[in-house]
Amino acid sequence: MPAPTAHATMARMQRPLLEFRDVARAFGGRTVLSGVSFRLDRGESLSMVGRSGSGKSTLLHLAAGIDLPTRGEVVLDGTPLSPLSDRNRSLLRRRCVGLVFQFFHLLPHLSVADNVCLPGWVAGDPPRATRERARELLAQVALSDRAGDPAGKLSGGEMQRVALCRALLRRPPLVLADEPTGNLDEAAGRQVMDLLRQLTRDADAGLLFVTHSREQAALAGTVLRLRDGRLEAVA
Amino acid sequence: MNVRLLNAGLAHWRQARTLTLLTVCGVALGVASVVCIQTLNLGALAAFGGGVKAVSGEADLVVLGQGPDLAESVYPAVLAESGVAAAWPLVRAWVRVERRPATYLEILGVDVFAPVSFPVRLGGEGLARFDGLLAEPGWIALTPEFARELDLAVRDTLSVATGDRTVGLVIGALVDFRAHAPLASAKLGLMDISQAQSWFGRRGRVSQIDVKVAAGRRPADVAAALERALGPGVRVLTPDQRAQDATGLLAAFRLNLTALSLISVLVGVFLIFSAVHASLVRRRRDFGLLRSLGASRGQLLGMILLEVALLGLAGTALGLPLGFVTARQNVDAVSATLTSIYLLSEIEQLTLPPLLVAIAVAVGLGGALLGALLPALDIARRDPVALLGAAGLPERLSRLAPRFALAGLVLVAAVVAWYAGGGRRLKESGFVLAFFLMVVLPLLTPLFLRELCGRLPPGGFGWRLGLRGLASRLQSTSFAVAALAVTVAMLVGITLLIGSFRATLDTWIQDTLQADIYVTGASWDRDHGATWLSEEVVALLAGFDGVRAADRQRRISGRTTDGRALRLAAFRRTGEAGPRQLSRVPLLAGDPERVERALRDDGACVITEPLARHAGLAVGDTLRLAGADGPVPLPIAGIGYDYSTEGGLVFLGWPTLDAVYGPGGTSSLALTLARDRDVDATLDAMRAALAGRAVELRSNRRLRAEVLDIFDQTFAVTRILQAMALVIAVAGVSLTLLIMGRERATEFALYRSLGATRRQLVRLGLGEGAGLGLLGFALGLAGGAVLAAILILLINRDWFGWTIRFELPASDLAVQAAWILAGALAAAVYPALRSSRTPVAELTREDLL
Repeated sequence: MPAPTAHATMARMQRPLLEFRDVARAFGGRTVLSGVSFRLDRGESLSMVGRSGSGKSTLLHLAAGIDLPTRGEVVLDGTPLSPLSDRNRSLLRRRCVGLVFQFFHLLPHLSVADNVCLPGWVAGDPPRATRERARELLAQVALSDRAGDPAGKLSGGEMQRVALCRALLRRPPLVLADEPTGNLDEAAGRQVMDLLRQLTRDADAGLLFVTHSREQAALAGTVLRLRDGRLEAVA
Repeated sequence: MNVRLLNAGLAHWRQARTLTLLTVCGVALGVASVVCIQTLNLGALAAFGGGVKAVSGEADLVVLGQGPDLAESVYPAVLAESGVAAAWPLVRAWVRVERRPATYLEILGVDVFAPVSFPVRLGGEGLARFDGLLAEPGWIALTPEFARELDLAVRDTLSVATGDRTVGLVIGALVDFRAHAPLASAKLGLMDISQAQSWFGRRGRVSQIDVKVAAGRRPADVAAALERALGPGVRVLTPDQRAQDATGLLAAFRLNLTALSLISVLVGVFLIFSAVHASLVRRRRDFGLLRSLGASRGQLLGMILLEVALLGLAGTALGLPLGFVTARQNVDAVSATLTSIYLLSEIEQLTLPPLLVAIAVAVGLGGALLGALLPALDIARRDPVALLGAAGLPERLSRLAPRFALAGLVLVAAVVAWYAGGGRRLKESGFVLAFFLMVVLPLLTPLFLRELCGRLPPGGFGWRLGLRGLASRLQSTSFAVAALAVTVAMLVGITLLIGSFRATLDTWIQDTLQADIYVTGASWDRDHGATWLSEEVVALLAGFDGVRAADRQRRISGRTTDGRALRLAAFRRTGEAGPRQLSRVPLLAGDPERVERALRDDGACVITEPLARHAGLAVGDTLRLAGADGPVPLPIAGIGYDYSTEGGLVFLGWPTLDAVYGPGGTSSLALTLARDRDVDATLDAMRAALAGRAVELRSNRRLRAEVLDIFDQTFAVTRILQAMALVIAVAGVSLTLLIMGRERATEFALYRSLGATRRQLVRLGLGEGAGLGLLGFALGLAGGAVLAAILILLINRDWFGWTIRFELPASDLAVQAAWILAGALAAAVYPALRSSRTPVAELTREDLL
């Protein structure tokens, strides 16, 4: 990963990391999102709350370039996503986005360290540097001693910590988390949330997470609510 | 069974089209293999049986000589026997149709004055159409079909060759012999017996005498009485006994092909297992729901098996015509084997009798149900909670892998112990070992996969990650790799056998065929030694300018006193090298000089390896031949290598052969030229000198090529079976990858969410296909080497009796490896493309940790 020049860094600092401009998404005749606009900058955190089916996951998919809006524009790191090919969106996602899922999504046949290394392998990063970075991240989440274990032997909280490491392996400027504590007990959920905020803050990354928990949502700098596909600010 | 439930189940199969297609294909190809081979097997037997029926259909008994024919003076003695109501002599001659090198006609010489009707029915017109039969020289009746094939009509001349003579026959009538014997050859001609004797050099000889037994007499009693009255120079058989001769003769040939076709069925069963397992795992929640609503285990099991049975029937319906068409396409190759190796009639018609349809249905249904039984039982025995939760078979298979492997090793030890402890005395023991090898390979596969792939460090998004993925899905991959391994083992085993056999044969040909020019009559390989080259031709060629030595060979068909059919050959050399009995027969046992002397001076014989093995004979033992005048004991002076016939060949001194079967002429001639002579130029000169004579002159090079061509043709059907098994195995790879793509949708979605491009996923999928191919090949290669040893050292020796030297046909194996890997890669293309299109939305599933 080449070091950015000062000019490029300044330009990047000035533009929003993620911007939704009047975004709508419909599936068949059913509108899931409508007129959604917001922006997220580096170092900021934004939480999204809403009932089941309110369009939270769809919004995250649009932010990651996994899905495209029916109308409006999603701009990631200054790049509008809609005109991009599937391949270029994949490459942009590879560079800019780290994803954390409710159901961890670790590969059971790989070790803990291998699961963390996965984004580096997909991107074709040098194996040794990837392994080194994974070790560093696992140390930060206190899982160094479990690096060689099969992922299936971890507890739920540990698995989500591994998933956090995987999301941050390539130092993405944006971390998207879809109910990251939804599958954990309260204590483990709190620990994971703290780590998520800390790690993204340390990396100066933007964090957008979806949650059911008002308490966790309040931890973000900005809290937005999705209701019937429309965005409304939460006081 | 609730019809609505069954409909719901079938709706699933309709939706999962690829899965259904592959299941049906698995059944269809397995059934096709069996139908193809059994149709050819039945056709081969029917060709012989049909010929017997056409010729001796009305006879209760057939009187035959111990050699190729018998003296017609036997006929009055047959008629004189009290139990004989009627008898009629026949002359059977095989002639080559001129200007049609590979077309032979069997001519039947009948006695119109015999006290019965013709042995073939002539239809309503009776003898009216046969007025020229006696009066007109060369009058012959042909089948309309054969006349059409030759583009000839009544009154046209048909030129045929016999021995070294060409004769012109006149087509006097067209008769459909098949009206009487539907399986009879269309290449059958009818003429007067005395004309046949005269035209084809059989004066005073007949091929057989057919007998109608008097009312109230048992054929067996009359046969015994005839044998007593006629002496040891004749055999008296029922037509059924004659047909059984062919059954026995072809037993090894048929058994080998049947065993090969069953391997396709076995591979198909793996394919069905994978497909059914995948289908059931997908529907496990439906089954859980049914169970929670009160469906019993039996109802569930019955429903699943009924669904699979219907798919099995669909596969059978496809496999039946496919197998029959494949048989038709290969009938020429099998016919060539029958005529050149076994001296039987060629197959002209193939039928699909009801029994074979029943066998096909049994194989298709049985295979489908066998493949479905384990997954169906697994689903049926689970409780509703387990079914509504995650499937547990993957973890179980991984855990059970060492036990499966151990069971395989125990099985190997048990079978080897059985073999060493007396099992080898059983002739089928080689097949038992081969069968268990095919069972052991799949048992070893899960552990092989788990240990080889599961321990690979992934180290990147490439082939190693793909291989790790294979180890994590043992429930799918094991069956694909096992099916491929079984197929590869068969391919490699048979390739090693064929390659080794071909190399051995090539060496034997080089040792045996050392003359420069070989001369035969037109139909010498068909007429069982009843015709020969005229002395005039032999003298002309032996004395031809540039000929240094001439080895005459007399070869006839004969039998041992216990009824074993064999061929007998004698050599006589003229020319500068002096007299020589044996013409370079490589000896397995016996000293060449002593053997030469024993044949010349002591009336001894040399038997070939297949005969020695089949009859349990050794040097110093006595071979008891059924001679024209009774049993003749011959001391065995040596055992020689020979690959020309499976039935066995006996080399005798020329005078001994004359003494045993009566004098005869030269069947073939081997000419050695002076060193400075050009073979091709000499051949041209000889052909010019023999213009008008039906003599086949072959150079050494051409004869060798023809022998190897016949060899290659013999294995043509084997190659079809290999190809079918490979297609099934490759379909299995495709199916496995499709199943894996479905099962791993979340994993692929995860890769996509991490930024993997579709191209990367396609490469991963292709890598997994290649991995499956390589693993199957590696396991199959090891199995194939063992199978080759079983085929060469056990099955071949026990059934055919030949010594085959191991040879590694490296280029053939390399080509096969390339085909297998290319097949596996091709099979991976569609699943890989499909997997690459997995939407990231699949991440909503809970399949991963």
